[in-house]
Amino acid sequence: MPWGTFLVRLPLAVSLLAASATVPGSAVDLDGRPADPLAASSGKAVVLVFLRRDCPVSSRYAPAIQKIAEQNAARAKFWLIFPDKSDAPDAVRDYLKDYAYRLPALRDPEHVLVKLGRVQITPEVAVFDRDQHLVYDGRVDNWYVDLSRSRHAATTHELQDAIDAAATGKPLAQKEVRGVGCYISDLD
Amino acid sequence: MVVAAIVSVAALGLTARPVGPTDSSRPPTFNHDIAPIMFRSCAACHRPGEAAPFSLLTYSDAKKHARQVAEVVRARSMPPWLPEPQPLKFADEMRLTDAEIDLIQRWVEQGAVEGNAADLPPQPKFVEGWRLGEPDLVLKAEKPFILPPEGTDTYWNFIFRIPIQQTRWVKAVEIRPGDKRFVHHANILVDRTGSLRQREAEPGAGFGGMEIRIESQVFDPDSHLLFWKPGTVPYVEPDGMALRLDKGTDLVLNTHLQPSGKPEVIQPSIGLYFTSHAATKLPMLLQLENDAKLDIPPGRSDFAVSDDFTLPVDVDLLAIYPHAHYLGNDIQALATLPDGKKETLIHIPHWNLNWQAVYRYAEPVRLPKGTTVSLRYVYDNSENNPLNPNHPPVRVVGGNKSTDEMCHLWLQVLPVNFDPRTDPRMILQQALARHNIEKNPGDFEAHYNLASMLQANDKLEDAVKEYEEAVRLRPDDAAANNALGAALVADGQPRPATALFRIALENRPDYFDAHYNFAIALTQMGEMDQAVAEFEAALKLQPDDAGAEANLGATLADMGKFEQAKAHLERALKIDPSQSLAQENLDAVEKAINSR
Repeated sequence: MPWGTFLVRLPLAVSLLAASATVPGSAVDLDGRPADPLAASSGKAVVLVFLRRDCPVSSRYAPAIQKIAEQNAARAKFWLIFPDKSDAPDAVRDYLKDYAYRLPALRDPEHVLVKLGRVQITPEVAVFDRDQHLVYDGRVDNWYVDLSRSRHAATTHELQDAIDAAATGKPLAQKEVRGVGCYISDLD
Repeated sequence: MVVAAIVSVAALGLTARPVGPTDSSRPPTFNHDIAPIMFRSCAACHRPGEAAPFSLLTYSDAKKHARQVAEVVRARSMPPWLPEPQPLKFADEMRLTDAEIDLIQRWVEQGAVEGNAADLPPQPKFVEGWRLGEPDLVLKAEKPFILPPEGTDTYWNFIFRIPIQQTRWVKAVEIRPGDKRFVHHANILVDRTGSLRQREAEPGAGFGGMEIRIESQVFDPDSHLLFWKPGTVPYVEPDGMALRLDKGTDLVLNTHLQPSGKPEVIQPSIGLYFTSHAATKLPMLLQLENDAKLDIPPGRSDFAVSDDFTLPVDVDLLAIYPHAHYLGNDIQALATLPDGKKETLIHIPHWNLNWQAVYRYAEPVRLPKGTTVSLRYVYDNSENNPLNPNHPPVRVVGGNKSTDEMCHLWLQVLPVNFDPRTDPRMILQQALARHNIEKNPGDFEAHYNLASMLQANDKLEDAVKEYEEAVRLRPDDAAANNALGAALVADGQPRPATALFRIALENRPDYFDAHYNFAIALTQMGEMDQAVAEFEAALKLQPDDAGAEANLGATLADMGKFEQAKAHLERALKIDPSQSLAQENLDAVEKAINSR
């Protein structure tokens, strides 16, 4: 029986280990250089926003994400993460321009950050506190009910709550709320 | 599993297609099992240039969205098809069978495998460009609408002014709504009086608004449902069912747009296909509604509204178009035939405004005289309705704004077996107006419409009574005051009519009809100077109106001003040479001038 317990714990142990690692590996910036968004965030909370260019739900969120990033600029550093390995850097640059993003972007073809942030869907976010502990992963808010229905406006704001929690150290009621959108695993 | 699913499909009365490997030990593959479903049921929209956000034409396309596809087909939110299966079939039903849905689930669960290349069926062929070939007339919206990057659903109307000089018959309209990815649906409304042009800030600019109302002056009921939604193939009307377009008719495209995250340029086009065959069958759009009953308390999840209308003539039901806003939940229409048999006309258990559609029946549905058509809508104004525009919920009443609610059902019916000396549409419309008055005595439009039909049937006294009721309900309404005035003039009572025209013109100074009718009343009273002034005011608004020119000429002739009369009569004949009365008057005026 101890073997069984060990086997069950193994993935958890890996993910805890990864969450506290300082060099996440092979996420790359748009010039192809390795990038570590957690290390580069100097004392602020870090928000990784996972997007697929071919996911209309991801795209519709652009103005909201840009706004939340600006409102929280003093306490959280935002990164846009593109996990589709077939994304060319120039296509990502065009996308950022089209959607008026003014946030740094990284490509994550190996899904290193996907695993680190435990995200499954675009758009989802992973929020790390300044000690690089994962505080929250999941949806931005509850705007979308499912893929064919969206609310007039969101009534819960998980990303904002998570940034607040990362700043104050107050625990979150829900550390994980799955989003509505496009599966990242479909890209494997 | 597959066998059980096929049995349940057969029980639903759908055509069971041969699907999937009967040997469930072999994992389903894209090439063998999934591609045929996607080519048939998804690719019309899920291909480059079409409405869907991504393509599903190839394995790599499908693989990148495999779990998403499995999820939406399982929830039956894709393909988008809201009605429940029912005995009365619709044309072009977009519904996957249970077996197909099951197969897609298993394909994804078992690794979304590509399979043997030899199994892949040929890609479906789609017509590029205009689906029905090059249209006879293509019109592009004069100015694009820039859809803002964020915000909630947006409704924009584009007015297409049709550059035709004589009446044409339209057998098909293809709507190209602009960038299809952001247009949820679009409806064309026929504006025969240019009444919506005044809503534009400048000509061609278009205007906002979800629900629009069109004014018409004569009995000329709407007859066609001209609708676009993603995947729509333009509908060609059967011979004899063409839509009439006259000179001066506007087609107004009402579009429902959804912001995408970046600004989008929306500039629709429409293509018209003409036929030389004039309409010989005259369908009509019957509207059941009960907006007056919509007063939905906050928190209420089962607010029921109904309307029941008994048909005064035999009809064939061709198409149905239910309409509610965000609180609409269970939407149903049924017919109770004279023998008591009930037929479900449509049942949408989970209404979604975003996927509203016109549903055309596979075969016309005969509804004999005495059939009661019923609307049964249930609204959910609770917190549990995620589409509720208000958080927390508030009281919601009927209205035109998207945050108001609506309870409408349009039926396209073609009267059959009628006495050719009667106009069955007039009988239907009158019965409907009386039904609406009974349902809601304060229904201004019902009184107004009933009056105009009574007037068209030479029942002037009854018409005057109904117009009076309309004016009583809306004392400042320009159209009602003008119509009552016109009916009184027709009844030989010009004097009381003048006060009504004055009210109409106070409320709408640029109202051509009121100036014109006022002028006619004044001529009957012998107030010629003032009549001339009113005709001139009318002509200032519509300089090319042959009738106003002809009547101004006649009035001037009556005053002995023959030279001036001659000029106006000649102008009337230049605009419309068929004005025989103007010709007679012109001959008389010329004789008078020559005999001086």
